[in-house]
Amino acid sequence: MEIQTSPPEHHPPPPINQTVVSKFVPKRTKNLVPLILTRIHAGYFRITLSLGWQALLWKILLQPIQDSKIAIRAPELFYSTILTIIWSFSLVILIVLSLLYSLKCIFRFSMIKAEFMHHVGVNYLFAPWISWLLILESAPFVTPKHVSFVILWWIFAIPVIILDVKIYGQWFTKGKRFLTAVANPASQLSVVGNLVGARAAAKMEWREVSVFLFSLGMVHYLVLFVTLYQRLSGGDRLPAMLRPVFFLFFAAPSVASLAWYSISGSFDTPSKMLFFLSLFLFASLICRPALFRKAMRRFNIAWWAYSYPITLLALASARYEEEVKGGVSHAIKLLLSGLSVLVLLALLLLTAFNPKLLLPDNDPILLTTALPPPPHSSNSNSTTAPLC
Amino acid sequence: MENSKQNHLAEEGSSEALPSLIKAITANEVAGFDSVEEHQDFNRRLKSTLVHPLSTSIFGIEAAAMENENELSKPQRTHSVSISMPPSPVAAHLQNTNRVLFGDEETVLGNDSPSSAAAAVSLQTKQAKFYSQPMPKGCALNEAITSGTSSNLPVRNPRIDKLKDKRFDSFKTWSGRLERQLSNLRGKHRESEQEPQPQHRAEFETLPVDRYFDALEGPELDTLRASEEILLPEDKKWPFLLRFPISSFGICLGVSSQAIMWKALASSASTKFLHVSPDVNLVLWLISIALVLIVAFIYALKVIFYFEAVRREYYHPIRVNFFFAPWIALLFLALGVPPSVSQTLHASLWYILMTPILFLELKIYGQWMSGGQRRLSKVANPSNHLSVVGNFVGALLGATMGLKEGPIFFFAVGLAHYTVLFVTLYQRLPTNETLPKELHPVFFLFVAAPSVASMAWARIQGSFDYGSRIAYFIALFLYFSLAVRVNFFRGFRFSLAWWAYTFPMTGAAIATIRYSDVATSLVTKALTVVLCIVATLIVSALLVTTIIHAFVLRDLFPNDIAIAISERRPKTTRRWYHRRSGSSDTKVEEYLKYSNSDSKDSEGSTNSSHKQEMSGSLHKKVERHHTHDGPEP
Repeated sequence: MEIQTSPPEHHPPPPINQTVVSKFVPKRTKNLVPLILTRIHAGYFRITLSLGWQALLWKILLQPIQDSKIAIRAPELFYSTILTIIWSFSLVILIVLSLLYSLKCIFRFSMIKAEFMHHVGVNYLFAPWISWLLILESAPFVTPKHVSFVILWWIFAIPVIILDVKIYGQWFTKGKRFLTAVANPASQLSVVGNLVGARAAAKMEWREVSVFLFSLGMVHYLVLFVTLYQRLSGGDRLPAMLRPVFFLFFAAPSVASLAWYSISGSFDTPSKMLFFLSLFLFASLICRPALFRKAMRRFNIAWWAYSYPITLLALASARYEEEVKGGVSHAIKLLLSGLSVLVLLALLLLTAFNPKLLLPDNDPILLTTALPPPPHSSNSNSTTAPLC
Repeated sequence: MENSKQNHLAEEGSSEALPSLIKAITANEVAGFDSVEEHQDFNRRLKSTLVHPLSTSIFGIEAAAMENENELSKPQRTHSVSISMPPSPVAAHLQNTNRVLFGDEETVLGNDSPSSAAAAVSLQTKQAKFYSQPMPKGCALNEAITSGTSSNLPVRNPRIDKLKDKRFDSFKTWSGRLERQLSNLRGKHRESEQEPQPQHRAEFETLPVDRYFDALEGPELDTLRASEEILLPEDKKWPFLLRFPISSFGICLGVSSQAIMWKALASSASTKFLHVSPDVNLVLWLISIALVLIVAFIYALKVIFYFEAVRREYYHPIRVNFFFAPWIALLFLALGVPPSVSQTLHASLWYILMTPILFLELKIYGQWMSGGQRRLSKVANPSNHLSVVGNFVGALLGATMGLKEGPIFFFAVGLAHYTVLFVTLYQRLPTNETLPKELHPVFFLFVAAPSVASMAWARIQGSFDYGSRIAYFIALFLYFSLAVRVNFFRGFRFSLAWWAYTFPMTGAAIATIRYSDVATSLVTKALTVVLCIVATLIVSALLVTTIIHAFVLRDLFPNDIAIAISERRPKTTRRWYHRRSGSSDTKVEEYLKYSNSDSKDSEGSTNSSHKQEMSGSLHKKVERHHTHDGPEP
């Protein structure tokens, strides 16, 4: 294991212990693992984010609703079965991905560092922790006050806070990495991380901690919102392939609305205002399909960024509908929930049928970190297109 | 663009080269080659007569005159004065039926012609006489005009004047085909049907926003830079519809907000001591309904007949915000409904009124967010407040009607985007090109959003609570910080858009009324009275100015240069200054803005230093020969 502090471009990657691997896996996949390790990055946790939030959405949607006029009361067992299936699936994927990513940390730490330096990739370092927090929250059998919940919360929240201090501090102190230089829509993921932590803490009835994380997230959200709307440096901060990340614009206010709901106990006016803001931004993005045209040419991991913001918005609309009962809110909730399920299914299918496309050789995040060539260039899976 | 210019020239003169050459001389002498001194004299005279009254009024005729005078000192204005030199006076008469100065001078010049049309023209000739070059055509023109050929004077109806007709076709809907269809339907006889108009058929693609910034300047981006050309003839009075900008809806905003103010004065508890009659509200409300109907009707005609012009207004970075104005005016009408007409309005009216605003917002805020050429850091200007204030007005109306969720929706959207806009404008980013360096009445729009937001929040919450107070105090602070700088509101040309800048003051007055309802004391009552008086005075002064401009000076609707800019910067211009390098360009801009007597020489030296770069026309070189003794390379 080498931990390199010099720029990663000129160091040959340390070989993975081939003999160990070859004992347990067939020959073809022997080349696959190093490839995966090389190509994977924190952005792949979008998958787990989507699944985690979907599980949470179903948990909330399927909560027994006392006086719902429309829902047919199917047996409880049915609901909990669905929930358990979804949750277990998410858990499995998360575990696999986390294992792979930790392997990468061990064997390719230089690339992790390079990801940290990338202005878009750094925000996705929050993603694993958010996913774990979500899985924790949406677990069908764990109640928030249980001690295991608390312990696990601390385990996942501490890295978020550390990342906060590092990244937000850089925004206003560091010479080169100040906000106007690095701001891009993916930066809102850091805000989302804080707010998810705040929400989970509020569920644990830890008021002060939750308000702390909430205010931290909101303040930086304010700064980020203004900066992103100004678009000082023009549209060149984000590669065209990463345009789906624009959906984070309405993910952040949705999760803020949910967090405030958890903190204040009811879906009051600030929560409503945040929900409406995210609804407006969602409508505004949907009306601009041209923005996403370039990114839609080929399936890639960034497409998963479409899924979880819609799920978040559906969650917020579910909470809104509980508060303001009526035809319109019910319709919005059904529409958004349906949309999020559809999008998730579509993405799952696309991923299942195009696994190769998930490991492209021209991933924007990896490219600009000067990805070292994969160890086996004769691998049939990889196309040896020049990195550019 | 070259083609259209060619067409233009062809119509004007017998030969192509000669008129353009002479035109170059006339158009480019600008502050005159030998007449700079007279020009300066004239300016100084105006200055001396106007300096005193100016100190006593905020917006008045004097201010308008002052700004006219300033305008006069801007050489590009004299483009409109310069008269092209056709070979014969008769030809001149045929083509230049009327000349319009952008800012007509006051009668300080002592001009007292019998008819106003002739007055305008003779005003120009008097001015033209400042220039030492022979102006027989001018006099001929004057004679021609006053000899009673008023039948060819400009025209409200483009169908009559066949000569001008063709040049405006490119701005008409479907390049004039609609109009021909309509007139064919009505059985009118169309002469010269066979005249080819290949150039005007060209469909304009969307002008990039950079083009507007390059070609125009001024706080409302409506003044043409000297190096630019426009597609339509400058020297003619365009059809009325083409001259009718969207910012005319500002009048509706101004008057209808006054109606609301008088309604609040009559009905609120803290102002009972004033004994204001509700009839004032009724009268103002009826007037504003009439105004809205008239302006909307005229603009609808413009949409039908000159859709291309409407498109260009939409792409103008400042005018686009005025597209919110009609809907805001309708919202004001609903807010200012006199109690005698109707006590409550149906909720569906609110949904109907807010739908266009929602769609416009989705479009425009999306443009800000998705970057590109219309991103906020580039186009931010105080008029953007009009895009944001609509949200708050809608929230106020909805809450007044008793709706709950809809107002919160628009309040949230407005608040988020207002924050962004406020920060951006306060920053005055260097990438931001449209903020005027001097203060301009448009800055009063800063006061609009917080004051309306405070009222809206008070209605939503049910009481004037802390949130409303915070917003109200912000509005008050901004108002005062602008009011103490009233000295800087000078030197601007009056335009109809100024009406739109009065509604913030009225809005602040109304918010003060609401505040004094809650925090009644002598101070708040006094503040109420003062603000209401100021708002009323300003509106009255503006009314008088508008009337004067409309009937006395007849330039209420000058040629709308902003929509007629060309798509590409003219490559070889016949003008005096053309853009070759950035540094000389800025020098040029400086000169154009603040003309002084010796800048002529500095410009000359710049020109001579860049002679090698001149890929220019023969005309340029000929000019240089005429004006400078420097040898040509």
